[in-house]
Parts: sequence; C-alpha cells; structure tokens
Amino acid sequence: MEENHYEVLEVDRTAGPEEIERAYRLGRAAFAEDSLGIYSVYDESERQAILTRIEEAYAVLSDPERRAAYDATLPPVQPEPGPGAVELDLELPAQDRPRDAGEAPVALRDFDDLDDEEGGDFDGARLRRCRVRRGLELDQIASITKVNPRYLACIEEERFDELPAPVYVRGFVHAYARCLGLDPGPVASAYLERFERARSGGDRRPRALGRR
Amino acid sequence: MIAVGGGKGGVGKSFLVANLAAVLARDGFRVVAVDADLEGANLHTCLSVPAPPRSLADFVAGREPDPVKLPVETPIPGLSLIAGTHAHLELAHPEGARRTALLRGLRRIPADFLLVDLGAGNEPVFLDYFLLADEGLVVLAPEPTSVENAYAFLRAAFYRRLRLALRSHGVQELVAEAMDQRNERGIRTPLELLREVEARDSREGARFAETMRAFRPQIVVNQVRSARDVKLGYSVRSVCRRYFGVDADYLGYVSEDPAVRESLRARRPVVEIHPRSDAAIYLRRIARKLSRSAGGGPAVGGSR
Repeated sequence: MEENHYEVLEVDRTAGPEEIERAYRLGRAAFAEDSLGIYSVYDESERQAILTRIEEAYAVLSDPERRAAYDATLPPVQPEPGPGAVELDLELPAQDRPRDAGEAPVALRDFDDLDDEEGGDFDGARLRRCRVRRGLELDQIASITKVNPRYLACIEEERFDELPAPVYVRGFVHAYARCLGLDPGPVASAYLERFERARSGGDRRPRALGRR
Repeated sequence: MIAVGGGKGGVGKSFLVANLAAVLARDGFRVVAVDADLEGANLHTCLSVPAPPRSLADFVAGREPDPVKLPVETPIPGLSLIAGTHAHLELAHPEGARRTALLRGLRRIPADFLLVDLGAGNEPVFLDYFLLADEGLVVLAPEPTSVENAYAFLRAAFYRRLRLALRSHGVQELVAEAMDQRNERGIRTPLELLREVEARDSREGARFAETMRAFRPQIVVNQVRSARDVKLGYSVRSVCRRYFGVDADYLGYVSEDPAVRESLRARRPVVEIHPRSDAAIYLRRIARKLSRSAGGGPAVGGSR
C-alpha cells in the first residue's frame, strides 16, 4: 500500500500551506544526506527514495490546483482519524517570515508554551535558549536580521564591553527578539537595562553559566 | 513508573534520572529513583549517597524479600533511592518469577513517581522495565553510535512487546523471522511486517496494530550543542513513524553545559547546584512535562 502525499509529509489532510511548508522542510532535513537521525535505519537508496517521495508530495500539496485535483482522487476523510493525526511541532516566527522559500531557516515550535521560562529577565542566556528551542543557528538569525553574527554572539554571552553604543544594541536585540517571535519592545528594554547597569556599575559581566 | 533507556552507555541516562527525580521531589512529589543498571550502577553517586545501606542486590540475594523496603533516603527531601547491584553479573538481575515479583513489588512502593535507570544494552530485563513502565524515555546523544544504539534498543523493545502480544504460533514465527534483518521474505520494517501479518491472519493483524498504538516512546536528546542537534529529535520521531509505525513523542533536550560537568564532579544533580544554568532549565522543562502528562499537580504544595 503506497502512502499518500499527506502521509509522506506526516501532515493532516486539513493542513494549511504553512504547515505543509514546515513539514516539507523538516522531512527534507531528516532525510538529508548528512542526517544523523536516520543513521543505521535506512541505507542510501532507501534514503533517496524517501526524499524523492517527499519532494513529489510537496510538489503536489504546495500547489493549490494540483492539491485540489489530488484530493479528489483520495477517499473521503474518515470521520474518526484515530491517533494518526500527529501535529508537527514546527512554526515559523510570526514576523520576519522569510520570503525566499529556498534555504530560509525553519523554526521549531516550542516544546511548551512560551512562558515556561520561569519568568526572570530577558538576559543573553534566555535569548539563546529561545533561539535553540526554535532550532535556529546564530547565522540564520544574522541573515534575517542583518545584524552581525559577532554582535549577536556578544548579546547572548553578555560580553557587554564588546558591544557598540546602547542605541545600536537596542536595535539589535529588538530585531533578534522579533525574529524569535517574541514581543520585541519589552525584551529590548529588559536587556538594555542589564546592559546599562553593567556598563555603569562595577559588575561588568553578570554572565550566566554555560554558553551553549 | 518512568523507565529511562536508550542503549548506549554514557549518553546520560543516570544523569537524566537523577535530575528529573530531584526536580519532581522538589516539586513536592514522592519520588523513588531505581538503579537497574547491570554493569555501571552509579545512580547513588549522582545522588550523593556514596554507600547505600541497602540495594537491589539485597533483593537478588534474598536478604530482603520485600522490594518496598529497599529505598534509602537521599539528601533531597522526598527523594529516595533503590541503589543498583554491584553483585556478580549473573546475580545482578533476578530471573523468571522473581523478576515478576520485583516488578510488582516496585509498583507497590508508595510514591508518585518511580524513575528507573536502565543500563546500557538491550537485555530482556531492561526491555521489560521499559514496556511495563507508564512512560518509556529513550535518551540519545547527537552522535552516530548513540543513534544506532537507540534504534537497536527501540527495535528490540518493539519486537519483545510484539512477541508477548501475539498468540498464534505461525505469526510468532513470522515475527522471529522478521527480526533477523536479512530475512528472506524481505521484511525490512515493522510496518512491512504488519502488512504481512494482516495478510495472514486478520485477528492477529488487529492485535498487532493495537500493540503499535500502545507503544509510544518519548525521545530525549542529551548533550545538545547547537540548534541543529535539537532537530535530531524530530528526525528520530519521523523515523519512528516511518520505520516502526510508532508515534513517538519528542519530550525534550538538554544542552551540553559546563555546569553539568561541574555537577557530575560534585556528585550532585545540576538542578540542585546550578538551578539557573541552561541544562537545569531544560531538565525542569522535561520534568514538568512528565508531571503534567501524569495528570497530577504536586502532592504537597508546589515550590519550584
């Protein structure tokens, strides 16, 4: 029994275009040549076969006309889908959604709700955790925000003395937070408060343990 | 009961158990951590109990017939420990009826959470803990050897479950045959096996499908160094669906963190000595997901 295109992409029949996009990128990453996750399970020809199926499925489901025509060939959706409908924990940030569908980063959705960070300041470590959680690397953030990745690293590691004037830092943090889908205003303000305090006071580096 | 396995040694099973147990205990739950590791029993070290007065060895040797009396206190209130055996290998795990008595006895221990640290390898006894547990966690690190062993562990657990569930002799033989990766029928994946079983016997096919649904491993990626490593869990989940036909959950990840190394040297959970470190925050996230899915608020008012 051949899997249908929805099963190949591991999405529901009702999945919207964004979800299909996410699922496609995730599938492509999982079955990429250097993917660790399939090691010892699939050999090269199987990997390529699955990847081909993913590409085929995406080509159809990402095109509204082809998708409609394809849907017409499928049996109607069962009223009781059982446990098969597995939602993908992926989500693009609300803003700054990359226009270029090519190699733009895919963001992972939170494992939990956004607020399980136990409150606390938006310090560098928390920004890093938010980033990692979304599966984004620093250079991906840099390419979206156009902020120098060196500055982004300084922001995360709170190397305050290597950062430029506060007005720039505010802009950087603002862009960074937006890119992560966070509310940029409060995040930038909280960060800037830490930044200014460290700059003016003796405590220059309230650095958190653990870089990444 | 939560069993933590994953095949390879050194991926952080004991570390994970010690820390999750510490978080749950601090959250007000009554927690017992059980060290079922055969060869490298060291959960007691992770929990600062250097010389546990009682251990699983006392049960195995018959000195303490009641598993309920095995737990010993740890420095963390609400958290007790059943230490591992340092006995000879052949003595390390009870066989047959005694194993059943142990597993049943463990379930009688008055606790909200029983966290079992399984050792490396795919011994049947580990698989039994894993299958018997309410939640089975599979821990892996972002490296090929660990990924390979995690799949080997899952495959072994899956087939063991299957063999216990299926009744008809012919189908059992088919399963045994399919377990051999180079079988002549060309059955490559458990999903293909399902089709084969269905074709042969529809009742057994239905039971097989039922078994697959009930088998729901939870994935934890440890020693995460980059956002890319975080995505490994999604790939593993996808393979579980495609290859095993199993819905796995991606429970969470823990970063590689200098605070972790320090905590291991200090022989204390990182959540206790560096509660603000990234690793501790990730560990708390996992623990809270577990307690939420277990469906209970803290037994005694919740601190953090």
